[in-house]
Amino acid sequence: MFSMDLLLGAVVLGVLLGCFYAAVSVGLSISFGLLDVPHVAHPAFLVLASYGVYQLNETYDIDPLLAGLAITPLFFLFGLLAYRVYYETFEKRGTDAGVRGIAFFFGIAFIIEVLIILQFGVDQRSVTATYIGKAWRFGEYRIPIRQLVAFAVALALTILLAVYLSKTFMGRAIRAVAQDEEALRLMGANPVRIKQFAFGIATAVLGIAGALLIIVAPVEPTLDRAYIGRTFCVVVMAGLGSISGTLIAAIILGVAESIVLTLFGASWAPAISFAMLLVVLAVRPQGLFGR
Amino acid sequence: MALSLAIEGLDAGYGAVKALRGVTLHVEAGETVALLGTNGNGKSTLMKCVMGLVRPDRGRLTLTIDGRAHDLARLPAEAIVDLGVALVPEGRRLFPRLTVLENLMLGAFRKAARSAIERNLALAYETFPALKERRSQLAGTMSGGQQQMLAIARALMSSPRLLLIDEPSVGLSPLLVSQTIAKIGELKQRVGLTVLMAEQNFNQAIRIADRGYIIVHGEIAVAAQSVEELKANDIVKRLYLGGVA
Repeated sequence: MFSMDLLLGAVVLGVLLGCFYAAVSVGLSISFGLLDVPHVAHPAFLVLASYGVYQLNETYDIDPLLAGLAITPLFFLFGLLAYRVYYETFEKRGTDAGVRGIAFFFGIAFIIEVLIILQFGVDQRSVTATYIGKAWRFGEYRIPIRQLVAFAVALALTILLAVYLSKTFMGRAIRAVAQDEEALRLMGANPVRIKQFAFGIATAVLGIAGALLIIVAPVEPTLDRAYIGRTFCVVVMAGLGSISGTLIAAIILGVAESIVLTLFGASWAPAISFAMLLVVLAVRPQGLFGR
Repeated sequence: MALSLAIEGLDAGYGAVKALRGVTLHVEAGETVALLGTNGNGKSTLMKCVMGLVRPDRGRLTLTIDGRAHDLARLPAEAIVDLGVALVPEGRRLFPRLTVLENLMLGAFRKAARSAIERNLALAYETFPALKERRSQLAGTMSGGQQQMLAIARALMSSPRLLLIDEPSVGLSPLLVSQTIAKIGELKQRVGLTVLMAEQNFNQAIRIADRGYIIVHGEIAVAAQSVEELKANDIVKRLYLGGVA
């Protein structure tokens, strides 16, 4: 039965979940929101990172967060390479790069799914750590420690990225490249190199986000499909490219999913993100904090 | 410090359209040279060629600094900025969703420019006090005159020695045009800039110019050695002064 306690519990868990959603979406906020790259393979990169974390945790018993940190440089290089291929084959050649780029990134997403299945099989995989499996109890509430860890790391990651984008020369150039490439050339910055670097950062962040994904719950190869809706919903709702907006939009999604899950059951939760995406596109296409 | 820009026989254009044909001009250290001409005569293309944004089809672009010649036609824009050239582009081209301060900081993006940020920022705020008051405001929300001030200040953040200014008067009221031109003249004196300014507004441009060129359909039609010579020219009388040639 519905009660205020139940609702309050759902909201608290929703806020924790929302911050986690911000961490998995914030890279897309750069690649899609700022650079206009139709990066539908973003969630596939995320799941790939989770499997990288799983492998390190399984083989060397490394803490999943440290494992995520360890694969971050690899993912940065992976991002540089992915953008370079996209740029040379699509963006450089014309204005309809967006439409053809979607096909390109969908292709990459499916290839990643298949490679994960070949390597790890279709079964769910999870990691072990001291903070997984325990819960905090006060009164009748029960909050899993893994959720708290994911919440704290996600919040720190998102804030760190927001500070990077507003306080460093490279961060400012990344925000400027979306606004006027030629003007940026006048400042002596090479727009293609800036965008490539930005895409590298957006992908590197997935090292940590992938660790959070597998800390929060077990992963499977096709998990990326559930996150296409969530990540794009968050980035579009935030207003393309706004990092603080990403955090707030992600919390709104997290709370909405959590309440629906509590009131109507788990099967409805995945539909929430697409429904919210459609509502945002219809009512406020520029997003909550949009340009 | 000796600096000069020499352009010889420059041809440039986009595809089949030739925006510039055989353009020859020079700018010497400390001068303010006006490049006069109405819209669509190739002034902006010339500016972009100097900046490395448009590659000429033929001709030479030489920047000589302390006796050393640099071939600008072969250098990327990054290297040209490092040599001390900056362009205030037509239409200002600010980053509208960044703040005034963030726009200024981007002007100092090159590593070579970062050591002088404090000094250049102080200069920008002193010359344009409104920018200091509005440093946290988004650039796109300012008035046209303030935006032009910001565009000039942003160009100064890279410590340029040769400042290219493309159409500073476009879209501004006559009073603001007059103020903007006066500010450019003031800055030139203070910082010891060499200036090449493209402008349609003849009477405003000659207030601060030492001499000027008139460009018509991509070719230099008049190369005058002084402002007096410009005023006396028949083409000028016909195009700008409303007189009968």
